[in-house]
Amino acid sequence: MAVSVAPAAPAPSAPASQAGPRARAGWLFILPNLVGVTLFTFVPLLSVVVLAFTDWNLVSGLGGIEFIGVDNFVHVVQDPTFWGSVGRTIIYAGLSVPLTVASGLALSLALDRDIPGRGALRAMFFMPYIVSTVAVGMTWLMLMNPSAGVVNQFLAMLGLADLPGWFASSYWALPALIIIAIWSGLGYAAVIYLSALQDAPTDLYEAAEVDGAGPWRRFRTITWPSLLPTTVFLLVTLFIGTSQGFGLVALLTSGGPGDSTTVLPYYMYQTGFQFYRFGYAAAIGLVTFVGVLLLTLAMWRAQRGRALHD
Amino acid sequence: MTAAPRISRRSLLAGGLGATALTALTGCGGRSSSPATTLNVWGGVPAESGPADLIAAFEEAHPEYTVNYTRFINDDRGNLKLDTALQGGVDIDVYITYPMESLALRSGSGMGLDLTDRVAAEPGFEPFLETEAPRAFWQDGRITALATARSPRFILLNTAHLEAAGLEVPSEWTVEEFVAMSRELTTDGRYGCYSLPDLPRIELGPNYWYTDSGDSNFSHPVFLEHMQLSRSLIDESVLFPWTEVLARHLEVFQQNGFVAEEFSLWATEPFSLRYLQDPEEYPHDFTVAAAPMPTVGPDSWNSGPFGDFLMINSKSTKQDLAWEFIRFYIKEGPPYLAPGGRIPTLENVEDETVLTGLLGEDADDWFDVDSFRRVLFEDETELYVDTNLTAYPEIDLAYQQQRDLCLIGERSPQAAIDSVDSQAQAAIDRFGKES
Repeated sequence: MAVSVAPAAPAPSAPASQAGPRARAGWLFILPNLVGVTLFTFVPLLSVVVLAFTDWNLVSGLGGIEFIGVDNFVHVVQDPTFWGSVGRTIIYAGLSVPLTVASGLALSLALDRDIPGRGALRAMFFMPYIVSTVAVGMTWLMLMNPSAGVVNQFLAMLGLADLPGWFASSYWALPALIIIAIWSGLGYAAVIYLSALQDAPTDLYEAAEVDGAGPWRRFRTITWPSLLPTTVFLLVTLFIGTSQGFGLVALLTSGGPGDSTTVLPYYMYQTGFQFYRFGYAAAIGLVTFVGVLLLTLAMWRAQRGRALHD
Repeated sequence: MTAAPRISRRSLLAGGLGATALTALTGCGGRSSSPATTLNVWGGVPAESGPADLIAAFEEAHPEYTVNYTRFINDDRGNLKLDTALQGGVDIDVYITYPMESLALRSGSGMGLDLTDRVAAEPGFEPFLETEAPRAFWQDGRITALATARSPRFILLNTAHLEAAGLEVPSEWTVEEFVAMSRELTTDGRYGCYSLPDLPRIELGPNYWYTDSGDSNFSHPVFLEHMQLSRSLIDESVLFPWTEVLARHLEVFQQNGFVAEEFSLWATEPFSLRYLQDPEEYPHDFTVAAAPMPTVGPDSWNSGPFGDFLMINSKSTKQDLAWEFIRFYIKEGPPYLAPGGRIPTLENVEDETVLTGLLGEDADDWFDVDSFRRVLFEDETELYVDTNLTAYPEIDLAYQQQRDLCLIGERSPQAAIDSVDSQAQAAIDRFGKES
C-alpha cells in the first residue's frame, strides 16, 4: 500500500534552487487576483487622485484633461451643497449605524437562548441584508406611500392625524431612509453579535452568579466589555458602508425632495455622471475618503484598551 | 544543472502592472473594426418601434450594406454608456443624441462630424441651414447634428370625461380657458389635469432660462406666475397632487395615471401615443382627443422642441456610408419611425402617412383622429432648439428641486424661484456665460 505524506513546510532558508520555482508558482497563483486588483482598484484609485486636480468631462477624452491645480478643492470648501451633503451624511450614518448596532445587539441577546424556531428566526432577520437593494427599495416605496401605504394606514389606525409624507416630504425622506437602513442591517449586526456571544467567557458568568450579580450587572461588566471589539467592528464597517450608501437614495428619492436626501455619495454621482464634471466629483470623493478615514481612526482609538480581552 | 532564475517580487509586480496596463490599453484603445460594408448605429428608440423596419428598408434599397442597430436607454446611465463607448473607440458610425446637454458636450468635444458641406449639397435639406429658427445643432458656425424629429406638445383629453361634463374639444384656447376646463373636469376622486403647461416656455421660447446677456432669467415674472398658479391649482385639487407624483415616481410614468383616469387632461408629446393604442399593457375603454397647447398671447411658442439629433461619429471610417444612411433616415425613414412617436423635422412625408404611423391601424378605436390631424398638421406650431446651454444640468436640477419643494407645499413660490435664480446665476458665473 502506498502511503503519501504531505511534504513538510520548507525551511525559511531554503536554497534558491528550491525556493525559486515555489515562489514563482506562488506568484502565478496570485497573479490573476493581482491583475484584477490592480486594474479595478489601484488604477481607479490613482486615477481619482489625478482627476481631482483636473477639469474633465469624459466626452472630450484623455486629450481633454486640463490640470487646474487645487481649484476643485477650493470649490469643495466653498460649496454649500457639499457641506449640506456632509451634514445629511452625518445624520444618515450617525443615526442609522448606532441604531442598527443597538437593535442588532438587542436582537442577538433575545435570540441567544434556547427558544423554539431560533434558527428560522435568525434566518428571517438576516434575510433583508442579502435581499437586493432594488427589491428592498421598491417594497418600502409601496409600504411608505403617504396616502395608500400600509405604514400610514397602520399609523392612522393608531389615531395619528398628521401622517408622515415619507418620500414625498423633505422632512420625512431622510428618516424614511434611516428606517430602511436599520431594517436592512439589523439582521447582519445580530448575526455578528451572536457569533461573538458564543465566545463570551462562561467562567466569568458563573463566578458573577456565585457572587450574586444580577442580569444587568452581568451584562454591564462581562457581556458588554467582551462584545466591545465586535461593536467597534460593526460601527466601523457599517459606518463606512452607510457613508457610501447610494443605492437606496438613487432608487427611492434621487436626492430629493429638494436636496433633502442628497448625501455625499449621491452628490458625487450627480456631479460626475449628471453634470459630467469628473474632476470636481473626484475631489469630492477624495475629501470624503479622508473624512471617513479620520472618523474610522477616531473610532478605533476610542475603543482601544476598553475591551475585556485587551 | 543551473538554478532556475528567481523572479523578484518587484519584477513580478512590475510585470503584472505591465500586463495590466497592456490589457487596459488593448481594451480601451483597440478600435474594433467591422467590415467596410457594415454600419453601426446607436439610438434610443426600441428597434421594434421603427428602427428595425427602417433598417430593413435601407438594407433592401442597398443590399450591399448591413446595419447593426444598438439600442441604449435615453437616461443618465444610457447616455454615459454611449459617451464611454464613443471615447473608448467602440465601432459606432451613426448615433442619436437626445438631451441637449449631451449634444453640447459631444459636439463641443469633437465627437460629431462636420456635416455642413454635405447638408448644403443635399437637395431638400435647406431647412437644416436655417439659423434663425435652427433645426440643426451649430458648433462654431458648423453643423454637427441634424434634428430629425419634431416633438410638438399638445393636450390629450379623455373624451368620456368631456362628454360627461358637456364640453367640446377646443381647437384653440388660452391658458385661462385651459384652467377653466380643468376646473370643470375636476370631480371627487379625479383631478382635472396632471400638470400645468410650461408657461415660461410658451411665453419666452428658446433659451428661456437665460437673459440676452447670458445671465439667469428666473427673475422674469412668468416663472413666478407659473409656480404660483401650479401651487394654487394643486391646493384646489384641480392639478394632480405633487406628493403623489413623488411618492409614486409618476413623472416617468404619467401615462399610468391618464390610462387609469386619475386625471382628464394631460400635456404631453407624440411619444406618449403608443401607450394609448396598447390595450394589453394599458387597458382602457375611452377614446382620446388632442387640443393644441394653450396660449399666453399672439406670439406664443409651443413648448415642444426639435429633437432626436442624428450625428456621425467623427472617428468613423465609413463616413460616406454613414451619410448615405442619414439621407435615407431623413428622406425615407419617417413612415417607419412614426409608430415610435416620431414626426419628421422636414415636411417631406404625407401627413396621413405619419398620422397612421402615430395612431396605429386601429386609430378610430382609440383616438379622435380629426383632432390629432388638426393639432399636428394644420395648426402652426413654433418649436424651439435651445442654443445657450451654460450650466444646463446644474440649472435643470436646481429648478426641479425647488419646483418639488414648492408643489408639495413646503416652500413658497417666491422663495422657490428666488432660490433657483440665485443657484442658476451662481452656476452661470462659475461655468461661463454664453449668449
